[in-house]
Order: sequence, then structure tokens, then C-alpha cells
Amino acid sequence: MNLLKIIFFTVVSGALPLAAEMVFKTTLVEIQVEPGQNQVTGEFPFEIQGTDETIVTYDALCSCLAGRVEPLLPDRSAKLAWKVGEKGVIKARFDTSRFLGTVDKAIELKLKGRDPILLTVRVHIPNLVELEPNTLRWDTGGDTEEQVIKVKINHSKPINIISHSANNEKIYPYELKVIKAGWEYEIRVKPTTSAETGIGAISLRTDCDIPKFKRAAAYVVTKPKLKARSAVTGAVQ
Amino acid sequence: MKRLFVSLLVLTGLSGVASLVTWQLVGPPDRSVACHQADLPKHSVCLSTVRTWPVGEILWVDARPRADWEKDGLDGSVLMNDQEDWLDLEPEFMMQMMLATRPTVVVYCNQSGCGSSKYIADQLRSRHADALGFQVYVLEGGIKALLAEE
Repeated sequence: MNLLKIIFFTVVSGALPLAAEMVFKTTLVEIQVEPGQNQVTGEFPFEIQGTDETIVTYDALCSCLAGRVEPLLPDRSAKLAWKVGEKGVIKARFDTSRFLGTVDKAIELKLKGRDPILLTVRVHIPNLVELEPNTLRWDTGGDTEEQVIKVKINHSKPINIISHSANNEKIYPYELKVIKAGWEYEIRVKPTTSAETGIGAISLRTDCDIPKFKRAAAYVVTKPKLKARSAVTGAVQ
Repeated sequence: MKRLFVSLLVLTGLSGVASLVTWQLVGPPDRSVACHQADLPKHSVCLSTVRTWPVGEILWVDARPRADWEKDGLDGSVLMNDQEDWLDLEPEFMMQMMLATRPTVVVYCNQSGCGSSKYIADQLRSRHADALGFQVYVLEGGIKALLAEE
């Protein structure tokens, strides 16, 4: 009988942590980043319901992200033990200086006796100097028709291309055409031959005051004609 | 009190014996990363699926910090991460894509939730996939899946 009691209490006490809950209003915060803004902070407010909670770790899964639990304790250290009814916020500071487009980064929160919780900050970072397309391609042995890369400035003020260069101009001569200074350009490329596989890069420098938009690069390649994709590869699309 | 102690001891002993028997019958625990292709989001792939593709048609991209790539990156993998300047890393990727026909690029990082491999895969897809004719996938489980396989 005693053995049964022990088994019962073991099972019940094992299940108790599951009833505890750190309730978040959301586990995904989306932020539109302004041009030139290098840091944003995602906030994840929470409330302790059910039973007390203990934070074991709150690790950012990227060096670009730093987590912090607030409010802090009087000695400025992180408060890890939380009682029922208490409210707090986990802040995730995101250094966006190296990113473009839509980026998800997360803080992994581990609570005692619970599965980890991912708190995700999704940022949308505009590309101020957009090249469309980034890569031009000709088929080996095919025609060498002129192709165009359009350069579009997506900013509130003009960004000028102040210099440009190429590393394989003999095969891929190009012309940078100004459509609207500071706003719109075209890079026109017409290879001299397509007899062999080849690659070249065209580099642009701008007068943008935001470091990551001071440089841009486009590629020009000559490759054998694409083969049909394998059925196996296509199966997971 | 004595009975309680004895009961606990018996329970512990029984659990231990059961564990040993299970180990003997079933073998050591499976430490591989669980992955079901059908449950994954678009552009994610299980290592078991990758292993069915021709080895020579895959370019592996390591999205971890440079030190990690240098330590245990896959042979032949290219470093493309979000800690260094994209324009400085991109030329090596382009050169590798030119060396052979690689219709498939698989990106891995430290773990599923790190987000780096997804970001790198998205960037490669939007910049070069159409022109160079490749598909980009994110490896579910990242480097852990690769290491567990060894």
C-alpha cells in the first residue's frame, strides 16, 4: 500500500511543474527597421500564473541579439525566481547593422522543469540600394545579347554611385547608365564571348552615409545550360 | 520511516534494472536529430533526405561563426554567415558554384533556432538562385544533425 502511495505522489509531484506557467502576450515581435537604424528592441511581456517559475537561462541564439529580464533586482542582477502574479518583460536588443530583408532571431528561454520557449524578434530591413537582378547569366556557347541590371534607390534622399569597377571587363564589358541621378541606374553588360564558362563581378561604391549601403556588387556569369532538376531534389519543395 | 526508505530503495532498484534491460534489448539511446520531412516548413530539409541526393550535386554552406567553421565545418563547405560582411564572403560562394554544376545548396548553422541558416538561405535564393539555377535548403537540426550522424 505504501509503495502505491509513493508511486502516486511521485507521479503527481512530477506533473506539478506542467501546471506552472509563464504566460507571454506574444512569442513573436515584428519590427519595421528604419533606414540607418542599427538597433531595435523587441519586448516580450509576461505574467506568472499557476505556480512560481524559475528562469534557468535566457540565451540569444545569435551574437547580434542580447536578452535582458526586467525589472532587475535591486543589485542590478537578473531576477530569475518569479512568484505567481508577478509581471515582467524579456527584452531582446537586436543589432541589425549587418542584415537586409526579413530576419528572424530568437532568445531561447529555459524555465526549470519546462520545455524551452523561443521568443522571436522578426525585423524587416529595407534594402536602400537594390540591384535587380543581382546576377546576370549567359549559357556557354549561347548568344551574347546585352542584359541589364537595374539599380534602384529605395530611400527618402538620393544615393549616388560615386565609383564603379569590374574584375573581368575583357569578357564582360559594361556601361553604367544614369537614368535619374541618385535614384535610378542601369548596368548594361554584353559579353564579348560565351565560348567558355566564366565569371565577373561589378562593384559599386555609393555616397550613402549608412555603412552597409556604401558598397554593392553584381555578378555576371557564363555557365552551361541548366539541366532539368532531379526528381529527388524536387520532391522536397 | 524505515518502510518508506526501503520502498524508495526498491523503486530505485527496479527502475535501474529496467533501464539496464532496456539498454541490453534495444541498445543505446538514439541521439540523432528527429526529423520528418513532411512536417518541415518549405525550404527545410532532413539530413536523411539530403543523403538520398547525389553527393556531387550539393554545395554545403556553413552559416556559423568563422571559428566554428574552421574547427569542424564540413569538408568542401563554404562559409557564409551573418557575422561578417556579405560582400566579402560572397565571391567564394560564387566561385564554388562556378566550379561544378551544383543544383542544390544546403545551409546549416548551430541549431534549428539560430535563424542564421534561414537568413543565409533566403539571401542566396533572392540574389543568385534563379540565375545560377540552384535550390537552397536549410538543414533541420544544423550541425548537430551532421555530428550525430558520425
